[in-house]
Amino acid sequence: MSDPVQAVDSPQEIACAARQLREIIRQKEIAPQVVLEIFEQWAAALNDPELHEVPGITFLRLWLRRGNLEPMLLRELGPSSLSGGWWEDGRARLQAFPLGVVGHWPAGNIEIQPILSLTCALLGGNSCLVRVPSGLVWVIRRVMEKLREVDRNGLLTERIFMADFDHSRMDLHEAMAQAVDGAMIWGGAEAVSQVRRLPFPHWARVLVFGPRLSAGAMDAETWGNRTERSSWCRRIARDVWQFDQQACSSPQALFLERGEGCDVAEFAEELKQAFQEENRTHPRQEIEPALASAICLARASWLLGSDGNSAQFPETPDWTILLGSGAEMPNPTQGRTLSVLVVDDLLEAISKFDGTMQTLGLGIGDAKKEETLARAAGRSGVDRIVKLGRMHVFSSPWDGTELIRPMVRLVRHVPSQD
Amino acid sequence: MSALEEIEQGIESLLTEPPYGVEPQQRRSTLLALLKQELIYACERNPQFRNYVTHWPIDFREAKDIADLPYLPVGVFKANPPLALVGAGEVKRTLTSSATTGQVPSRIVLDAATARRITKGVITIARDFIGAARRPYLIIDTPENLSAQGELGARGAAIQGLGSFASEVVSCLRPGKEGDSNLDLEKLLACAAKWKDADVLVYGFTYVIWTQLVQPLQRQGITLGMPNVRVLHSGGWKRLERQAVTRDVFSQGVAAVFGCSANRILDYYGMVENVGVIYPDCDQGNKHVPAFSDVIVRNPLTLAPVKAGERGLIQVCSVLPTSFPGFLLLTEDMAEVIGYDNCPCGRRGTSFRFAGRAPKAEVRGCGNLENTRYQQAQGSGVA
Repeated sequence: MSDPVQAVDSPQEIACAARQLREIIRQKEIAPQVVLEIFEQWAAALNDPELHEVPGITFLRLWLRRGNLEPMLLRELGPSSLSGGWWEDGRARLQAFPLGVVGHWPAGNIEIQPILSLTCALLGGNSCLVRVPSGLVWVIRRVMEKLREVDRNGLLTERIFMADFDHSRMDLHEAMAQAVDGAMIWGGAEAVSQVRRLPFPHWARVLVFGPRLSAGAMDAETWGNRTERSSWCRRIARDVWQFDQQACSSPQALFLERGEGCDVAEFAEELKQAFQEENRTHPRQEIEPALASAICLARASWLLGSDGNSAQFPETPDWTILLGSGAEMPNPTQGRTLSVLVVDDLLEAISKFDGTMQTLGLGIGDAKKEETLARAAGRSGVDRIVKLGRMHVFSSPWDGTELIRPMVRLVRHVPSQD
Repeated sequence: MSALEEIEQGIESLLTEPPYGVEPQQRRSTLLALLKQELIYACERNPQFRNYVTHWPIDFREAKDIADLPYLPVGVFKANPPLALVGAGEVKRTLTSSATTGQVPSRIVLDAATARRITKGVITIARDFIGAARRPYLIIDTPENLSAQGELGARGAAIQGLGSFASEVVSCLRPGKEGDSNLDLEKLLACAAKWKDADVLVYGFTYVIWTQLVQPLQRQGITLGMPNVRVLHSGGWKRLERQAVTRDVFSQGVAAVFGCSANRILDYYGMVENVGVIYPDCDQGNKHVPAFSDVIVRNPLTLAPVKAGERGLIQVCSVLPTSFPGFLLLTEDMAEVIGYDNCPCGRRGTSFRFAGRAPKAEVRGCGNLENTRYQQAQGSGVA
């Protein structure tokens, strides 16, 4: 059996793979029901002790469950989408057909992202050409082997080609771009800009996720509550730790509404304990020297910036809490560095968001207040507003965009008998 | 005696020690005590610096090791106004680093006492490698860099730092029409003829020597016939690495144009923020730490000092400055610790090899923005 992730060295190999993927779509339709069934089995197969250490694997298993994907499919593609049939739309009928070959350029910092991306395109009946970031090849190979185990007839695996090549090989990126009908691009500013410049065909639909920033916000009633504070701090620590704070949904700052009797030093102490605990459970295995430098610089710059600023950090670069006040979103450092800023009014901070903000994690006691904040956040360009502790829960829509529908064609049929 | 006077006395005493002859443990304990005094002094002079030190996870007064003292990352010297321990009226000179296009340079303020000490520091170190005698000094740079006053760049600072060894000075580049520089061949050949067999000190930035001296002379097939030169160079390898010029290629190329042996070419590591301390290669290819400074190589994962044979981020320590808090600085450079004593060259203490700039992370994920939308709309700015 061939390697699920193929080392690719020439544009011809990519063109050849794309031709085969296109041929499969022409010859064989696949109903979403079938896709969902295989995904369900795949989720079960991923419950393997050998894979337990893969970051995000538990989430991937939940993601692949029918109970998660079926409602998403129904919402995005309509009530008849499960069987792949038509649905009524006034005097016409609509049916989703695949766009064709969808190219995926996942970010290199999230292990399961290539899989999340391709599952969206497969649900639309597409074939997938995936560039696997070099650092993720080992993990993706293991995950794809599990798909092969359950997909014995190759119904899905024949629709997937995973390519491993160095990120600097522009000739191979170009070959991929020229061969696709749609693209799902994920990543940081540099990577996304580079991929967007590739020579996609004029008909290709290009969907970009990221780069974005995220932040948290808590009202005084919530963060000042001594009984529940430690539980909130644990949630925040969890959001900061996942993906080493490099995801677009990672909180880089936490805005705290100023409140009478609310002591930010007390809060910082509990947050520190939560960070220490999270670090004990999920210690960092390695770090780029440049990131270690950046963390040290963030600590020093913050404390040298004003003698009113404060901070908590250990001797190691494991985590950092920068404490102060202000409604401006600070430049992110990443690497588990959270700016905790006290503001008079959360709306002031939210009104300064400039469209780069993806997720706002909230801890708000009063539902009416939350409603006001959510509306303001929406107006300021925020695409996801969730409870703190759930900032990374991947779901549709993401970055303000549906995940399946953009990669299908909605065909309209007006019967000629009328 | 005031705290500053006490510190100055301590520094003077270290500057008179043989730079590489002190037993490492004794050297470290002397440095630790002096650095603690300097930190107390700096905290009294600068409330922001005090704020940083107060938040350090270890109380520096209780520290048993230099590695436990609060260090600053060199990036903080890019701040404007520069981080200082003296008032503007006391600043005698400002040094700037050689930032590449688009980067913000570091700025270091020197008062008279610090300026004196850093000159002494460089002389003490260089003397150990090239001897104390005054000799002709050939500068591979333009004359403008010799005489700059007030704000001085890294090239000028390095050139002037070796000025004390000069009996006469000649600079062999001239400014070009487009802000560049080119070789004044006539002047150079005249020097070569005049100083033929003399012990000549040559200094230039590494890439300047290569591109402005070696390459033009190689193209014309000229050899200078100066077998007794000592060529010191610094400033990093990044630009030459892009041209695939290795250290060996460089040394052999320079030796060939001067007509000397390759072991007369000395590469040294140094930076504006650690002014007064230079780290030339010994005959074993290792760099050493003089009595008035220290180098700690830190594991990026833990920031703890590495063992011999391991690589990490370089932290430089120096007791010389009192006009800016440059005592303990974490650089963005990497090094490998060769040993903590007993280099075969005879110099005591830590020996290390420079291993380049810390590589930039390839991927910083989908949370890595370059421009925010607002900045984009304004047409400027990097987040």
